[in-house]
Amino acid sequence: MSHTVLVCDDAIFMRTMITDILAQAGFEVVGEAETGSQAVEKYRELKPDLVTMDIVMPDMGGIDAVREIVKQDPDAKILMCSAMGQQALVVEAIQAGAKDFVVKPFQPSRVLEAVQRVLG
Amino acid sequence: MDLSQYAELFLAESREHLSACNQLLLEWEKHPSGLAPVGGLFRAVHTVKGMAATMGYARVTDLAHRMESLLDLLRRGARPATDELLQLLFRARDALEHAVELSVVGRERELEVAEVVADLDHAASRMAAPRPQGPGGRATPPPPASPPPVELESAPGRLVQVTLRPEAPLKGGRALLVVKKAQGLGAVHAITPPPAAFEADDFEGRFSLRLDSPLPADRIVAALTAVGDVEGVAVGGDEAPGSGAPVEPGAAGVLAEGGGRSRHIRVALRRLDGLMDLIGELVTARGRLNQLAAERRDPAIDDLAIQVSRLSSDLQAEIIQARMTPVWQVFDRFPRLVRDLARELGKEVSFRVEGKEIELDRAILDELGDPLMHLLRNAVDHGIEPASERRRRGKPPEGEVVLTAARERASVAITVTDDGRGIDRKKTLERAKRDGVVDPHADTLTDDQLLRVLARPGFSTAETVTSVSGRGVGIDVVMTRLRALGGTIDIRSEPGRGTSFTLRLPVTLAIVRAIIASVGPERYALPLTYVAETVEFGTVKTTVVEGREAIVLHDRVVPLVHLRRLLGVTQDAPPPRSPIIVLEMGERRSGVVVDGMLGQQEIVVKGFDAPPGTLPVFSGATIMADGIPALILDAGGLL
Repeated sequence: MSHTVLVCDDAIFMRTMITDILAQAGFEVVGEAETGSQAVEKYRELKPDLVTMDIVMPDMGGIDAVREIVKQDPDAKILMCSAMGQQALVVEAIQAGAKDFVVKPFQPSRVLEAVQRVLG
Repeated sequence: MDLSQYAELFLAESREHLSACNQLLLEWEKHPSGLAPVGGLFRAVHTVKGMAATMGYARVTDLAHRMESLLDLLRRGARPATDELLQLLFRARDALEHAVELSVVGRERELEVAEVVADLDHAASRMAAPRPQGPGGRATPPPPASPPPVELESAPGRLVQVTLRPEAPLKGGRALLVVKKAQGLGAVHAITPPPAAFEADDFEGRFSLRLDSPLPADRIVAALTAVGDVEGVAVGGDEAPGSGAPVEPGAAGVLAEGGGRSRHIRVALRRLDGLMDLIGELVTARGRLNQLAAERRDPAIDDLAIQVSRLSSDLQAEIIQARMTPVWQVFDRFPRLVRDLARELGKEVSFRVEGKEIELDRAILDELGDPLMHLLRNAVDHGIEPASERRRRGKPPEGEVVLTAARERASVAITVTDDGRGIDRKKTLERAKRDGVVDPHADTLTDDQLLRVLARPGFSTAETVTSVSGRGVGIDVVMTRLRALGGTIDIRSEPGRGTSFTLRLPVTLAIVRAIIASVGPERYALPLTYVAETVEFGTVKTTVVEGREAIVLHDRVVPLVHLRRLLGVTQDAPPPRSPIIVLEMGERRSGVVVDGMLGQQEIVVKGFDAPPGTLPVFSGATIMADGIPALILDAGGLL
């Protein structure tokens, strides 16, 4: 069975692109979230194999969402989606429990490599 | 990867964020010490930056990045907005919008943003001077002096030296992942430089650690290299192997099935237009099928025709619903427009929008932006008086402009109201007499007459022509546009109290229910949107008012329009009891006298390029069920 993914980003553009990249590689995107709190809620509901998480989101940011999700499920596999210049935030996200990160602009090959690493 | 397929989505979403920026900037301007808008601004610009980078629009990305850096400083510094700063941000937002628009049409190279970029950088550097901080990130600790991997003899385990690929992005994050991986292999000590340095933007990607693990060197190298972006791993001598057992990552999470899928998708507008065209043709074909079924009197065909009718009606309703768009999508740009205008003219104006959630067909809404802009400009420029004049007249110094949308029966009414000086009827009347628009002996102008005078191309009573509204009030432009949309305009103006313009529009354009009427050999369609009722000539009392033939209906006088005379039809004789179709629009009524009524049906509205000299009473054309075209009468033109 294909792996399930929850895509979290406040931009539909980004969600669409990530979903396209993952779907073409055979992943099943089972949910999307626009805010950190939505991500936490949907993770609880969907228990996806993988989460892609934007850092800057309204309501609750991506890093706090990582903390909350890892608190619920220490094995959660979360891939951060960051932008250039967010070094400190990425470090913080990894300390919070994120398993890997990709940097915008996304190259599909790099996204898929990171996903494979996270899923082990 | 083909990015062009995402361009439309990029544009649509960027526009939303830029529109949000306007709202947030206006809010910030109103409450300069409130900091809530800054976070929203930062996020919006950050999102546009990320999307632009993905699309490969380097200049848009750069501009957004600089704006973001400044916003980040403002956000962290918790500084109230100064006027200078707000003006800069407004300007930068506009530049960013322009940049986005140019980029998607492949004209990114034409962008000239040097000036605003320089101003943004200047503002950021002035603000950043006391506390240097990285854009998009936390305050960065001072960069460590060139961190060479240093071996600490005292720590147990083998020395592991790691070098990341020079092109790897965010090397600090990657280094931390390597460290975490190593921690999964055994005990890790003496990380050099210490992990705090990983957060610095200029971390170079070389570090070392002591790993106390029983694993052979090649397994360690393989495991750490697998973290990604690792150029080389060197594992030193085995000095003090510890007992740290490798820890395997936990089992994969439980699979979840379906559910929770996102329930919205975005569809390009042209797809919806295409769908609408197809359904239009289906409706025409359905009409023919119904006719055929009626002729054949075959119950099987009849049943099928009824089924097809029902299905196509449902389909049509669904697609019309899908095209419905809340008016805020166009209204949201107006607060900024009014604010800029008021500033430019040195007036105090508060602006309010009501009924933002009212929906209209996207095609109609898209055409409304310009007419509404005209009316709002007029309201601020000609309507609202300067504060000093308002005080003299005992009014609050701040003028008010209100934009309202409200649903009426089958139409939507959009009103622009100001509490300004009102239109000077005396001056307008003089002008109207000079132009021969009204009787030279008239001493008043009704609202209707006022509108007719205002709608004359180039009409203006303004003593000075301002750059804002230009020459003339432009009501003629507004009227022409509304006419094309099957809409109408009404005016109310009271001296000293203000002016209000009401636009009435059909909720949807493409398919409407219409009365099919005949005049001579031709058929005409009259959309039901503005039809109040139908009566028969001879069954109602007729009278003459102001030289016009009229009927008396429910104690009100309704002037008549003889379509036969209007269109110059001479063939056949009119029937003795001609039907009268009574149109109603706001307060105005008019009875249209036709030869016959052929029933109601749904018609598909097609655009219509009227040849010069055509009477302004047609708004479009349609194809009837028998394939013969008919013209659509414009209620506004007949009133």
